Amino acid sequence: MPGDRMLHQPRLLRRVVRLGGTLTLAGLATFAVAFSASAESPSPSAAAAGSPAPSASPAASAAPAPTPGPSDTNWMYATPAPTEAIPLATAPPLPPRVAHPDGGDANGCYDCHSAVNEEQSKIAAAWKDSAHGQAEVACADCHGGDPGSDQITKAMDPAIGFVGSPDRQESVGLCGSCHANVDTMKASGLPTDQYAKYWSSVHGQQLITANDARVAVCTDCHGVHDVKKVSDPTAKTFALNVPELCSSCHSDEKRMEPYGIPTDQYDVYAKSVHGHALLDNKDVRAPSCASCHGSHDAQPPTSTTVVEVCGKCHTATQDLYMESRHSELQAVAPKCWTCHGTHDVSKPSSELFFHPTPPDYTCVTCHDLQTHTLRLELDQFDDPANRRCDTCHHPESQIYSQIEGISGAVTSAEEAYVDAEDEIQHAAGLGMITSDAEVALAGAKTSLIQAQAAVHTTKLTSIAELSADAVTKSNEAKALATAKIDETNFRRAAMVIVLALILLGVAYLWLTKRRLDRELERDLEAKGRE
Amino acid sequence: MAATPGAPTGGKATGWLDQRTRIGPLLAASLHVRIPMSAKTYYFGGIALFLFGIQAATGTLLALYYKPTPEAAYESVQFITSDVSFGWLIRSVHHWAANLMILFVILHLVRVFMQAAYKYPRELTWVFGSLLLMLTLAFGFTGYLLPWDQLAYWATVVGTEIAGSVPIIGESLLLLLRGGTDVTGDTMTRFFGIHVLVLPIATAGLLVVHLVLVHQLGLANPKRPEPRVTTPEIEKEPQRPFFPHYIIDELMAWYVLLAILVVLASVFPAGLEEQANPLQTPAHTKPEWYYLGVYQLLKVIPWKVIGIMVPIVGVALLVVWPFLDRNPEVVMRRRKIAVGGATVVIVGLIAFTIWGYVS
Repeated sequence: MPGDRMLHQPRLLRRVVRLGGTLTLAGLATFAVAFSASAESPSPSAAAAGSPAPSASPAASAAPAPTPGPSDTNWMYATPAPTEAIPLATAPPLPPRVAHPDGGDANGCYDCHSAVNEEQSKIAAAWKDSAHGQAEVACADCHGGDPGSDQITKAMDPAIGFVGSPDRQESVGLCGSCHANVDTMKASGLPTDQYAKYWSSVHGQQLITANDARVAVCTDCHGVHDVKKVSDPTAKTFALNVPELCSSCHSDEKRMEPYGIPTDQYDVYAKSVHGHALLDNKDVRAPSCASCHGSHDAQPPTSTTVVEVCGKCHTATQDLYMESRHSELQAVAPKCWTCHGTHDVSKPSSELFFHPTPPDYTCVTCHDLQTHTLRLELDQFDDPANRRCDTCHHPESQIYSQIEGISGAVTSAEEAYVDAEDEIQHAAGLGMITSDAEVALAGAKTSLIQAQAAVHTTKLTSIAELSADAVTKSNEAKALATAKIDETNFRRAAMVIVLALILLGVAYLWLTKRRLDRELERDLEAKGRE
Repeated sequence: MAATPGAPTGGKATGWLDQRTRIGPLLAASLHVRIPMSAKTYYFGGIALFLFGIQAATGTLLALYYKPTPEAAYESVQFITSDVSFGWLIRSVHHWAANLMILFVILHLVRVFMQAAYKYPRELTWVFGSLLLMLTLAFGFTGYLLPWDQLAYWATVVGTEIAGSVPIIGESLLLLLRGGTDVTGDTMTRFFGIHVLVLPIATAGLLVVHLVLVHQLGLANPKRPEPRVTTPEIEKEPQRPFFPHYIIDELMAWYVLLAILVVLASVFPAGLEEQANPLQTPAHTKPEWYYLGVYQLLKVIPWKVIGIMVPIVGVALLVVWPFLDRNPEVVMRRRKIAVGGATVVIVGLIAFTIWGYVS
């Protein structure tokens, strides 16, 4: 993790200057941090900045983000934001499609290669079952040559356009030659922007600027001969499989070591609410790596986009956040990840308000002693225990009192809801029909969620109103459940009385029976004597 | 002995009634008879009769509020349970009495079988009794759907599918039961009609025949076969009045059953799942406990036809069993094959029921 995160532009610029020729290294670090924090890191293209180097990091060239506005200071990481003066490395020109003679219905490549040896046979079989094989995209469409010939010298003659196996760098253009071609892809209905997106990604930028073929190219994710549709559950690119796909490289310490990128993201993500929903509950709606970072245009979210990235799903919460004082602060403002984390997003709770015991505050916790302005010590938020309001807001501050009010209102609403829920469960456990109470509780739940979500506005009045509404509705639901429990108690008391009456009835019958039996016995004895 | 017209019997009120109904001879023939001292009740049949009465009474009350359409049924049951005065009690008693009735009819059948009470001259009593068991199970099956909740709906889907797998007539039987290809409002009105009209009338009719036969033939002696010719020893056997001496025993058992019903209804009131949703199949759909054994049997037997034929043949054998069993003995130790076979069947059914419950 870089220790030089900061809040203010002057310091940022000084840092940029100081880094100078080691800009590449800083970019690398940026990418590493971005992957661990998933926060803003608008990093420029090292190549475009005029410092291309074989050792250039992917992140150094990995910021195809929109040009930041005047207020968009790079407050997180010591990497310069891309500006119009430092454009991204542009995509290389799209190569033409591989030309080859028309083989008609014949596919001599397949016929021969499926019979050459086991390895070649497997390749041929994989192609036949692949999305390409199904769509009649044949061998010659990628490798060239004459598919109509069964003569090896003719079929694989470079003179007629046989190109053999493209290397990793070339493979992107080869895929793009069809997949970025609107006419070609029209029939399949697939998008054609992947090629352009790829070159805007950290992967593509590293490939083009540093000629670093170790980065991910099309075939690493989609396969080579065994290309599968994204909708195929067995595809590595199927939604449920994406984290494992990204992890196949990004959890590899040896592979990530040159880039300084952490390798624990998958493990951290798997334990998060997102990972739990996707990996454990198989909920394809849950976000995977690509949902936040992009797929073909993979890159860390930037300072200006992080709220929008989370807001793609959490739209209502994003709107509430935009109403808040926090959003007005812009550069020094906490963003989504400050409180909720990045890969390790956990279920939010009232614990996010305060530390169990107030933390130790020092001046530099909140202030830049040199510029006498506010600053945000970002390292603190790596630790989930520090994702609390009082990490920034001192107990003696006015805002702290306001947070206490917000916390108190929301907590009381949560407690009222849990109380009502417990009471309903108790009533249901007694065999009572609690549907009316459950309907009332659903109304309370809606109000509670609204109150909890309103915390993002930081507005005490509206949060208190919504919380009070949730408390009222929870109490109404609880009252309905309590009435059912009282009813059960009445029934059981009545049952005891009825049982007592039945016992009396049985006792009377038993006594009558005894009397009748004795009379009968006497009659029989009398008859016997007669 | 018929009462003389114009000569009232009993007290003033009964005399007044007897003059106008001439019911005295009928009562004398049905109640005021004497039975052997050795004849004693085993309660099960009487309890089943009592529970049928409870079902008729509570079912009539439920029918006053119940609305047999898919749109209104669920809410009407909810209304009965939550809003109608003592509606919860009526519904819960109906629910528990239904289960207990099936249990006691089965226990009655097992007792009669084990004591060989189906043998001469009571073969027809057994046949009508076994038909009454079928009707009781049909009561359970048709009544189960009526609350129109998820449990009811999907248990009926599964149950009718079992009927649909009967060879040759299965498809027609399925359409007949459901009133269409799926379980819908047509199935509900069909089941309601059968539950509140067809089955009660049929059961009442068979019950009358069953009871008349019991009354006419008397109770079987479990220690010796029924003699074909009356002997002086039998005629000399001491007797006691059927009413009230015998009936009082039954009454006490009914009181105990009433107490059990009150406790069950108060402590475990009849519940209600979510409203039936034909588009949402619950994770575990199972029929009620009395069909669970057969259900599990069908699940584990790989050949569907055999699976469905086993219970059908079993029921057919049950009905005609008195005509197949030629052994005149009634004591269990002298009926090793019949008792052993029945024990295997009973243990097997219990085991399959438990298996079905836990699987």
